Amino acid sequence: MTDPNADASAPLTREAQGHDLRAEDLTLGYDETDIVSHLDVQLPPGRITVIVGANACGKSTLLRGLARLLPARSGSVRLDGRDVTSLRSIEVAKVVGLLPQTPVAPDGITVADLVGRGRYPHQGWFRQWKPEDDQAVQAALEATGTAELAERRIAELSGGQRQRVWVAMALAQDTDLLLLDEPTTYLDINHQVELLDLLTDLNRSHGKTIVLVLHDLNLACRYADHIIAMKAGRIVREGAPSDVIDADVVTDVFGLDCDVVPDPVSGTPMVVPRGRHHVRAMTPDPELATS
Amino acid sequence: MTSSTSSTIDLPAPTDEPAVVVRDRRTRRRRAIGVTGALGGLTIVLFVLTMMIGETRLGPLEVVASVLGFSDSPSTDFVVRTLRLPTAVTAAAVGAALGISGLCFQKLLSNPLASPDFVGITSGASFFAITAIVLLGLSGFAVSVAALAGALLTASLIYLLAWRDGITGYRFVLIGIGVSQLFISLVGWVIVQAELFDAREAMTWLVGSAGRAGSTELPVLLGALAVLVPAVLLLSRPLGVLELGDDAARGLGVGVETARRLVLLVAVVLVALATAVAGPMAFVALIAGPIAVRLLRGTGSGLPAAALVGACVVLAADLVARQLLPVSLPTGVVTGAVGAPYLIWLLIHVNSEGRGG
Repeated sequence: MTDPNADASAPLTREAQGHDLRAEDLTLGYDETDIVSHLDVQLPPGRITVIVGANACGKSTLLRGLARLLPARSGSVRLDGRDVTSLRSIEVAKVVGLLPQTPVAPDGITVADLVGRGRYPHQGWFRQWKPEDDQAVQAALEATGTAELAERRIAELSGGQRQRVWVAMALAQDTDLLLLDEPTTYLDINHQVELLDLLTDLNRSHGKTIVLVLHDLNLACRYADHIIAMKAGRIVREGAPSDVIDADVVTDVFGLDCDVVPDPVSGTPMVVPRGRHHVRAMTPDPELATS
Repeated sequence: MTSSTSSTIDLPAPTDEPAVVVRDRRTRRRRAIGVTGALGGLTIVLFVLTMMIGETRLGPLEVVASVLGFSDSPSTDFVVRTLRLPTAVTAAAVGAALGISGLCFQKLLSNPLASPDFVGITSGASFFAITAIVLLGLSGFAVSVAALAGALLTASLIYLLAWRDGITGYRFVLIGIGVSQLFISLVGWVIVQAELFDAREAMTWLVGSAGRAGSTELPVLLGALAVLVPAVLLLSRPLGVLELGDDAARGLGVGVETARRLVLLVAVVLVALATAVAGPMAFVALIAGPIAVRLLRGTGSGLPAAALVGACVVLAADLVARQLLPVSLPTGVVTGAVGAPYLIWLLIHVNSEGRGG
């Protein structure tokens, strides 16, 4: 797969179904601790992949590793078969876009200005602003429904609008792959669903490969084509949501006693936690009935 | 979301002319050019004004003619070109260097308090300069070299101490404040050791004055500005991405550590040279950037505007210090008197927004 003589500045070649991003024997960590160890994963091109798992299971760390925010301690992240560390980061940024968990909006910046900064990989230090940059910004604003906010200042926007603007910045980058680290965290349920619908639109209309870290298992099951369940830095199971998410996996991954039922809207798995209280005795427990 | 159908999303080639986006970009550009141009005009006015006022009063045309070499009066030439021009050029150059340097620090560390005054670079330069004056008995150019070396060494020290898998603004500022305090107390200790004459000399140096520049230091600062200002403008695009946070910047393909080190290097060299030429000019680096950003309302990088605001502040302070007050004072006293209330306002304002860290 890998050509050892590959020139680092040669353009990345897109496979028929999309760019291929994968991790091979990847170990990642902070300070002395390994968070993700010896992990192999391939992100299916042209699909929506959602990484789920309990807090501190390494899902965000894996995403950060794939987005080359964290250096690999062992193994590698490969883009179209080539180790990302051998590629110029600006070339990678034309193929892989990222929405980090807590990006910072500079003081007084307008929406269009912020989204325009997503054009950096196409401009570098020298290139002048071109009409195609304006068009990419406009398209990103339209796709996220923020076109009417273009001249507003970020500080004036609501949380939901702000998050859509950040997605617009990632879209203006115009990449085939889009990695998003918990993009729904600060959104209410309505904006969560809107954002996931938007990402699905982008996936279906442009064949963008989308990789998300999500906390909400039910939304993950509904929107994912491919789901990766992680625990303690390892992948417990991966595949289509209906193949991956059952009561045993949820209990294993989250330590949660639950039922998994079909989602009445989409038919995808829906996790219903049991908890210790409010459990209705719908089907009488045979032991209780006999005593 | 405007629509749930995928047909409205047309990423590679939208059908409509991106009117709003173009309009916003042009508005921003007009504002940036307008504000920067106005500041440039104000700088020139102040520059000429400082050379008009003094024991011999001169008209604006006389000053301009003499500076441009059209004057045929040797006495006017002597007053303008020999006595007043070096101070005016120093004030403008030092102000510009401090303005750019301050804004680079503030943007890089995402903190309006992160000016080289507070993160210890100026006090490091002061300690070296004072040591050179008091303990080594040096003067003139040698003191400037010591100040320059001190600023560069202090910046490296803070960088190394703050390094932990990268640099965060928060750690850099806190460690810088600690280093600053260390050098301030060392300066006090050195001055206590000094003979009375040396101590007086040292204290004068510590206030900062545009009129002090020797004929050797000023060309070095001007040469550095000629190289570093274009460098800063070149760095303003990656800097504009760095402002979005390290993760976002890496995602956009910026070599974060390299870009940050380059910006820091430029900013440190500028503040070091400015301090070497005129001494620690209090608060200019702190106030110039935020004033420029406020005037621009967040458009553009603000770096050229910050340079001009810095130049205006030092020129105006020099004018006030030498001419408008009953006794002639060093420039640094006036910038300090203006800057301190601003700092208090900034601390209150910044903390009310919860960005003090």
